[in-house]
Amino acid sequence: MKKKILGILCCFILVTGGILSGCGFQKNGENDSGGQGKDSSDRIVCYVGHGFWDGSLDPVKGGFSYGYDFINNGLVRVNSQSEYEGDLAKSWEVSKDSLVYTYQLKEGIQFQDGSLFTAEDVVFTYETVMANQGQNGEVDLSKLEKVEVVDEYTVRFTLKEPFSPFLDTTAQLGIVPSDGYDSTVFDQMPVGTGPWKVIQYDTEQQLIVEANEDYFEGAPKIKRVTFVDMDNEAAFSNAKSGQLDVVMVQPSYAVEMLEGMRVEKLETMDVRSISLPCREPGTFTNEKGETVEVGNPVTSDASVRKALAIGVNRQEVIDHAFSGVGRPACGWTDNLVWGNTLEFQDAKEEEAGKLLDENGWVDQDGDGIREKNGVKCAFEVYTPSDEQDRYLLAMAVAENVKDLGISIEVKQTTWDEIAEKSYTQGVVWGFGQYSPMVIDNQYQSSHFTVQAYSNPSGYENQKVDDLIAEAISANHHKDALAAWKEVQTAYMEDYPYLYLVNVEHCYFVSDRLDISIDTQIPHPHGHGIPIICNMKDWKIKE
Amino acid sequence: MSKQIWGLWSRKKERDGFWNQRRKTFFWIWLAVVYVMLILLDGWGMPPENYGVDYGAKFIAPCFSHPFGTDYMGRDMFFRSIKGLSNSIVIGVIASAVSSLFALALGVAAAVRGGIIDRFVNWCVDLCMGIPHLMLLILISFMMGRGGKGVMIAVALTHWPELTRLVRGEVLQIRSAQYVQASYRMGKSWLEITWQHMIPQVLPIYLIGVVLLFPHAIMHEAAITFLGFGFSPETPAIGVILSESMNHIATGKWWMAVFPGLLLLAAVMLFDGAGENLKRLMNPNSGNE
Repeated sequence: MKKKILGILCCFILVTGGILSGCGFQKNGENDSGGQGKDSSDRIVCYVGHGFWDGSLDPVKGGFSYGYDFINNGLVRVNSQSEYEGDLAKSWEVSKDSLVYTYQLKEGIQFQDGSLFTAEDVVFTYETVMANQGQNGEVDLSKLEKVEVVDEYTVRFTLKEPFSPFLDTTAQLGIVPSDGYDSTVFDQMPVGTGPWKVIQYDTEQQLIVEANEDYFEGAPKIKRVTFVDMDNEAAFSNAKSGQLDVVMVQPSYAVEMLEGMRVEKLETMDVRSISLPCREPGTFTNEKGETVEVGNPVTSDASVRKALAIGVNRQEVIDHAFSGVGRPACGWTDNLVWGNTLEFQDAKEEEAGKLLDENGWVDQDGDGIREKNGVKCAFEVYTPSDEQDRYLLAMAVAENVKDLGISIEVKQTTWDEIAEKSYTQGVVWGFGQYSPMVIDNQYQSSHFTVQAYSNPSGYENQKVDDLIAEAISANHHKDALAAWKEVQTAYMEDYPYLYLVNVEHCYFVSDRLDISIDTQIPHPHGHGIPIICNMKDWKIKE
Repeated sequence: MSKQIWGLWSRKKERDGFWNQRRKTFFWIWLAVVYVMLILLDGWGMPPENYGVDYGAKFIAPCFSHPFGTDYMGRDMFFRSIKGLSNSIVIGVIASAVSSLFALALGVAAAVRGGIIDRFVNWCVDLCMGIPHLMLLILISFMMGRGGKGVMIAVALTHWPELTRLVRGEVLQIRSAQYVQASYRMGKSWLEITWQHMIPQVLPIYLIGVVLLFPHAIMHEAAITFLGFGFSPETPAIGVILSESMNHIATGKWWMAVFPGLLLLAAVMLFDGAGENLKRLMNPNSGNE
């Protein structure tokens, strides 16, 4: 009997241990964790997701390529109107043939190691990335022919072919000092011109940064920030006990109340959509000579895709999946300069039903699911198993379109398997970035099956391909924007993706902290990190 | 001294009173079987609507209409847990049946034939026991494409070594018994002897083994599903339910973990109790241990 009691006791300890372990975040170092305790008037502790921890902090290897300032600055950056403005560059010019970009640099800026920032550093940074492109998956310089110093504060880029999104590339790549660059040291302790200096970086544990007092736009008001790595639930528990000042949470947590903290729902350009394979079932041999099974008998019917797009009730889906956090989206968001918001009325159940009837999708056996030539109007939608919110979204959509007579089976699996499944079944995607190249990535027919996660729907439209090419090679920024908008109109009627929601990034923010909402840029897809885009403007309220 | 008296007295009570070993064992088995049958039958015929999605009823704490509360999609946790446990039990039954037959065949063959077969079986047992159990489970389940099939094969293929050893040891003892030797001399084949003398002798120990295997199998099914290598998340299974509930513990939704956990615990403990009592009844010598 004793043995059994011991067993029960063990179980109990295990269970409670599991519950309590969420609260076990230990304060590290001397006063690194500011929290809301005493003596922390200019220090804060944040949890902004896992994004930092998986790679190098070195800009040359793709670290912090989000287009806003942190440790390093790029030549240009995005402002809160989603337009480009000079960062390290004062101004820039593009030649008539759009092959030569000339940047005038700001003068008198110092790196954190004291060296002066000049054109040489820019050339060094770009040449190092070009020589080691294999190490940098974030900034693609394959279109760049050469980069040269014109004079101490002028740099000239020459492209191999016209490439209108090049401006965006120069926003993504942070500049490193040519003299002090050390490939190994910079993985953990990069030196830049930015508002923040790295003090300590422990992979997958914490990143501590300190204000750069000599920052050329003025020193940040908060003097020390500690970023901690933990899982979402543990972070929430820590926030509950008042140990964190900023905590990223999933939308489903945003309904909770925490003492001393408020919920901030920040605008993003991050859009969730479901890819709908456009091809008939069959095999496909790509450029590389690989043959893969592609296509789906249901979603290859354009009327089914359209019925989904106009029939689904997006607001209801958002209410159910995200407790109402997020905005209905039918395409890219209007906070992007190239976004062509394709607003249309949804939840038109009758119209969608009529469309399906006309195209032969009728429920004959009375099971609530339509059929056509013996094929059930049913398909699968895959979501990554580590992202609960995408699963919730897919489940809510599946519930919602049941009324249309369409059956969606939601499955969770690994990203590797998703890459394969995306050729034949639906997948929930999240996209949102400043560069319009995301359109090329999702709609250009030649990407299908060649690059994982690119054009998963297998969309093929000559007109769209031509327009994308036109936009990329446009001479003028304005022409490029017009062409990108036209591309969106061109693919609109084909509905290769079921656009659902423009998510809002949710954070609990300590009441004592002002995160300067006015200078926040619309957040790109980035799992919570983008809130730090304007961290230099944050302040502790008196 | 007083301890000894107390021991004798309680032993006496056990022998004379209502709750003697036989009754106790019977009671345990009866309880375990009823519990499992109830859950199994209930889960088997349950229409999926019972644990269907209802967004209007998200996160309801346990109440009269939802005794176990509801989860983040408004699914009734009571029905979902029952369905989940019945899935686990099906896996447990099949896996322990396959595993134990495997163990019986291997154990008897090893002991009766000896030589190279014995060495081979022992080698297999050592091999299987040498790898951490959970790791082996995950490996096999992943290889078999996860899902219900993967878990079933994984659990069935990894629970035989202990029982095999037990059966082999028992048969080795019987093999040298005089009546077995006599049978050999009378010209009976080894198959006949196995069937007539060995199997009936190891049957008690084998049955206890099966009963004790069963909670193990259920636990392991729940464990690898919890870790994400078993049933896919859309299937109601105890492991899935428990791992989902972990996401909501921080916000105080305790009922999502506690009740399904208790259901699982009850199933495991009932069978453990039944097995232990059966062991004492069928193998009286263990009382001296």
